[in-house]
Amino acid sequence: MNLSSRSTGFSFIAPLLVLMVVAFNLPILYMLGLAFWEKGQGFTLDHYRGLAEAPVYLRVLGNTMRISLIATIANVAIGYPLAHWMRGLPNRARLIAIALVVLPFWVSILVRTYAWIVVLGNGGLVNRSLQWLGLTDAPVQFLYNELGVTIGMANVLLPFLVLPLFAAMIRIDDRLLQAAASLGAPPRTIFWKVYFPLTLPALAAGALLVFILCLGFYVTPAILGGGRVPMISNLLDTLINQIPRWEQASAISTILLLVTLLIFAAYRRLDRKASA
Amino acid sequence: MKRRTFVAAAASLPAVGILSGAARAQSREIRMIESGGASGDSIQVGYIDPLKAKTGINVVRESPSSLGKLRALVESGQTSTTLFELGSSVMVQAKKLGLIEKIDWDAVKPAAMFPEAKNEYGFGYQYFSTIMAWKAGQKEPKSWAEFFDTKAFPGKRCLPDYPHYCLGFAAQAAGVPIDKLFPLDVDLAFKKLNEIKKDVSVWWKAGAQPPQLLKDNEVQYVICWSGRVVGDPAFGMNFAGGKADLSYFGIVKNSKPEDKAAAYKLMHEMSLPENQAKAAGVISYTGPSPELDALLPKDKLWQFPTSKQNKAVQYFEDAEWWAANGEAVNKKWEAFKLSL
Repeated sequence: MNLSSRSTGFSFIAPLLVLMVVAFNLPILYMLGLAFWEKGQGFTLDHYRGLAEAPVYLRVLGNTMRISLIATIANVAIGYPLAHWMRGLPNRARLIAIALVVLPFWVSILVRTYAWIVVLGNGGLVNRSLQWLGLTDAPVQFLYNELGVTIGMANVLLPFLVLPLFAAMIRIDDRLLQAAASLGAPPRTIFWKVYFPLTLPALAAGALLVFILCLGFYVTPAILGGGRVPMISNLLDTLINQIPRWEQASAISTILLLVTLLIFAAYRRLDRKASA
Repeated sequence: MKRRTFVAAAASLPAVGILSGAARAQSREIRMIESGGASGDSIQVGYIDPLKAKTGINVVRESPSSLGKLRALVESGQTSTTLFELGSSVMVQAKKLGLIEKIDWDAVKPAAMFPEAKNEYGFGYQYFSTIMAWKAGQKEPKSWAEFFDTKAFPGKRCLPDYPHYCLGFAAQAAGVPIDKLFPLDVDLAFKKLNEIKKDVSVWWKAGAQPPQLLKDNEVQYVICWSGRVVGDPAFGMNFAGGKADLSYFGIVKNSKPEDKAAAYKLMHEMSLPENQAKAAGVISYTGPSPELDALLPKDKLWQFPTSKQNKAVQYFEDAEWWAANGEAVNKKWEAFKLSL
């Protein structure tokens, strides 16, 4: 590509760039700046000091990390076997499987989350079946706890893990596996020594992506957590909408953003390795 | 059209002409932000429709109303919204933050109102109660001590995820008499909540949740807003020890004078008992007129927050205390929620 075509390319994306800077980046900078500013006082670190004095906010952040980690692990546990199974399907069945994985994307996250109430509630499908089969006497408490939040988040985020993982898996050359087999390696050794290491970068990248998305989840914990699973975004909602202490919210958001950026940097490194 | 109504209508025509002449200095349409749901419909039926019929002024409703939204409105310098609905303690907070203006009560010319509703900064338009309720057929608690006694009254609970809708009841359950609730013994209240927390399935954020969870049999006992449960045979309820509170409308800071003039006209409509009776037909909350009881259906009086038998057994929210202590209590609340 020569220089002049590159500059025409730039003029095409310039409007979008301007829009992003004005409508997105500048407000974010303003929001981050709020934490360092107090009316009539100028620059201040009070809001960060307030964070240190009220460790409860940081503990909510810690709790958010923990839940996100659990949801990510659940996603990997379900997503990896699923992607692997899809790889082995004949072409047509594979297409159908991909469609089924992508399908939930087309349904509003709110609807999907409420659907879990119908499925997992005390009088829901699963509990009624369990009781009808005589497996349990009383309804099992699936909802309004961390289990419910984990199930809901895993459901919403599964495609983010499965799709990149599946893409990496179908790129693996079957002849590599055949070569390992012809050299006398049993299936388990082939999987752990050849197949799994080849999928690892994509798995790590997908898992990190899921983890980052979990950090900012709002709807699912609010509905399926029954108010018992404090997450950082719900806390921010209180600080922004109810109290309203935007400066404090800004300080917390900054810390959340820093953590997310750190994780994202890790994701980029792994992603580059995966696509290399 | 009957002859008499025709004559009356014809006679009122010049009056309308004069009114609209005087109304030239005021807006034909203003906007309000209110809390939504059936409460919003009651504002439409009770106050906005009569105002429109009388003066032609339209009021456009938006919801929900949060203090954050009000702060954003004022700080961005925008003047599109004139009226803003605020809970009692939120109103005090908004006043402190300089987000609302004084009301020109001379311009409102209200009919008789309860004194607490006629605030310098807010028009108290709707009384609502926070009470205990349960699924019909459950053993019926008579007091907060009984409601918090999960041994004698077994069943899952659903409590508000807001400290100011919980702590007053917990304090009563811990033995604080209803007339000595404020200043609130926060630690004692949290101690009581700690005893009950393992039996609380859901901490609700939206007022529609508790009745739905009762119907789904997810929980058996709830603390909820009275208007959500009264009159439904699926629920039992008790106003005893409940909290009566008042929702206000405030004037957004820096509103245009012509918009304010229209807003005052709406406030005048809100002060009329016959309009309040219309609003109470949509949702079981009551307006600030002392003459309202006489206009309400006798058999439904027990459902309303301010009817005599209910007002006598409830406590009234101490908005000043919450405005002063709300943020500190909120931090404790977050810490409590982490311990669930």
